[in-house]
Amino acid sequence: MYIIYNAFQNIGRNISRNILLASIVFAIIATTLVALMITNTSNRIIDEYKGQFGIEVTIERNTQTFVDMRQRGEASMGITITNEQYIAFADSNLLQRSVIMNGTLVYSETVTAIGQTGELTTGHGYAIAPTMQLQGNNWDDFKNGHRVLLPGGVMPSRINESIISEGLAELNGISVGDTIRLYGVVMEQAAAMGFVPAVYNLVITGIYFCVAESVSTWGSTTLIRQNEILTVAETMPGAQVIARYYLYHPSDLEAFEQELRVKGLHPIFDVNTDEHLYNAIVGPVEGMRGIVMTFMVVVFILGAIILILLSSIAIRERKYEIGVLRAMGMKKAKVALGLWFEMVIITAFCLIIGIFAGSLAAQPISNRLLVQQAENVQNIQDNLFVGRDLGSFSRVVNDDPIIEIPVSLGIYTLLQLILISLFLASLAAFAAISKITKYEPIKILMERN
Amino acid sequence: MMSKLSLNNVAYKYEGTKKNVLKGVSATFEAGKIYAIVGKSGSGKSTLLSLIAGLDICTSGKILHDGEDLKTIDRDVYRAKKIGVIFQSFNLITNATAVQNIILSMNISGSPENDKKQFTYDLLQRIGIDRETAARKILKLSGGEQQRVGIARALSHNPNIIIADEPTGNLDTETEDDILKILTILAHDEGKCVIIVTHSKKVSSIADEIWGMKDGKITRV
Ligand SMILES: Nc1ncnc2c1ncn2[C@@H]1O[C@H](COP(=O)(O)OP(=O)(O)OP(=O)(O)O)[C@@H](O)[C@H]1O
Ligand SMILES: [Mg+2]
Repeated sequence: MYIIYNAFQNIGRNISRNILLASIVFAIIATTLVALMITNTSNRIIDEYKGQFGIEVTIERNTQTFVDMRQRGEASMGITITNEQYIAFADSNLLQRSVIMNGTLVYSETVTAIGQTGELTTGHGYAIAPTMQLQGNNWDDFKNGHRVLLPGGVMPSRINESIISEGLAELNGISVGDTIRLYGVVMEQAAAMGFVPAVYNLVITGIYFCVAESVSTWGSTTLIRQNEILTVAETMPGAQVIARYYLYHPSDLEAFEQELRVKGLHPIFDVNTDEHLYNAIVGPVEGMRGIVMTFMVVVFILGAIILILLSSIAIRERKYEIGVLRAMGMKKAKVALGLWFEMVIITAFCLIIGIFAGSLAAQPISNRLLVQQAENVQNIQDNLFVGRDLGSFSRVVNDDPIIEIPVSLGIYTLLQLILISLFLASLAAFAAISKITKYEPIKILMERN
Repeated sequence: MMSKLSLNNVAYKYEGTKKNVLKGVSATFEAGKIYAIVGKSGSGKSTLLSLIAGLDICTSGKILHDGEDLKTIDRDVYRAKKIGVIFQSFNLITNATAVQNIILSMNISGSPENDKKQFTYDLLQRIGIDRETAARKILKLSGGEQQRVGIARALSHNPNIIIADEPTGNLDTETEDDILKILTILAHDEGKCVIIVTHSKKVSSIADEIWGMKDGKITRV
């Protein structure tokens, strides 16, 4: 193993040249490490996000398709997705989870809605205009902390149990244990007018507090979120079902759509993933990952080119030394191995300080980049407004974008870095080795004389 | 006695040149003898030694070592173990110390010596290089000192053939005498084949045979 020993000595003998080589290797390693740490952490966070929330699927009517099909006589006005279909759609192996909710518009003779200005009014000449919403299974806001159940109450768990907002409770003097009566309608094709009346007698099991909900009185009072009375889905059979489906992976979308078509989803409905939301949360991380990866590739390629050039220039200066070794009977392979060891030793040294420097730099760099990316995404989000039929059932972007990720150096990243460094060292060594092997020893010696 | 080296109508031409530098050299060099090769500058002496040293192969003809053609054997092993070369231009690694040069050579040869460092110091001592000089880089040695390190390196792995290109060119008479004494012992007492290229009458005088080179040909003088 004198070759390794000699490699060490050689590094010391050509110290200034090796410092130059080392600083390039160091720059590449440190950059690569920062990039790898950020990329790997980003990947993990994106995966975790996907694992936690899945990718929401949206099913939306495509007006253009509808108009086209209608002209060809292939679609009629009445095409919808039935409640049964919504429920059947949820039965899929591609889904990480699904939430089946329902909702209906209601009014009450005893409960005055927030924003309601007078007596109940009749709408469209035959029925009383609804003032509030009754929602089944819509608990997302409690999970993300936008709504909180006040002490002394419990969440509805059985049919006809419900909770109301603090505002609505105070306005009407309702407390836990009271019963309220709501009126609504249920669509029914067979009925004379296409719907039948429905009455709900609900026991109040709790009162919830809204952390940040607007009380704007623009439009119908049913749009005011504090006018939402929450219950379990079973309370209102026949009410409009609202379903949310979450795929494990965005790539499963096509297969999922296929399933929905088989289950009778009409072609006028488009099936998409909710990329707005996904981008809002994961977008900054993905954006940063993209920048970092590009940067890494550029630095790596540029660095590798410089390294190869430098290494082949350096070896020209050492032709004589190599000639001497060859003249003394050292085999080409051993000379090459020696050169490789030299590069590996230099690289190993750079790796140690590179890991130190890279680890220190990664977090601040990541923070800076993420804040920038989050601002970009926020700008895009601000220009978007997505509304849907039953107001508050539309998904509010209630998860904030990720603006800080705890970048850390894992064993996997370390292994990747070591492999990349080894590759780099070999590349540089190979540039040198390829130059020496084509000479007979006499020629290498002669060129100097 | 076995013939160590035999040259059979050896011709050689440097790559990229037209003229043959060696034009049919035939000679035999045996173990236990000292040979002097003399001749004018540019007559091809160093070139001949390079071929004997296995640094390149002849354009035509044959060089046999113990009956084996240098063309076909592993010349790396041959150079590392069988032959010790003292180059006209030393060919030492200049930014390494004298000791490092010799130890490296011993390592390449796979020398069985246990304490290579001590062995090297002793060897250098014998040819007049003290410890302090031995630990200095080649660049910081005088021409004569470098030459002696070159000689020590050629002897360090105890080869059977020693070829020397003007080994005493840079040495004072006293050191020259010491070196010649060593070479004589190696040939006559230890049975090595010693081939010396020289302009010096003194060196020629210790030789058993003198060969003259002229225009790429060799003749016994
Ligand atoms: N690398 C080379 N390429 C081309 N020609 C060379 C090369 N080396 C030597 N020669 C030529 O070969 C001839 C023999 O050179 P060589 O070095 O063998 O001479 P020499 O007898 O050792 O001379 P000296 O006594 O000066 O050392 C010379 O004419 C020289 O110019
Ligand atoms: Mg010469």
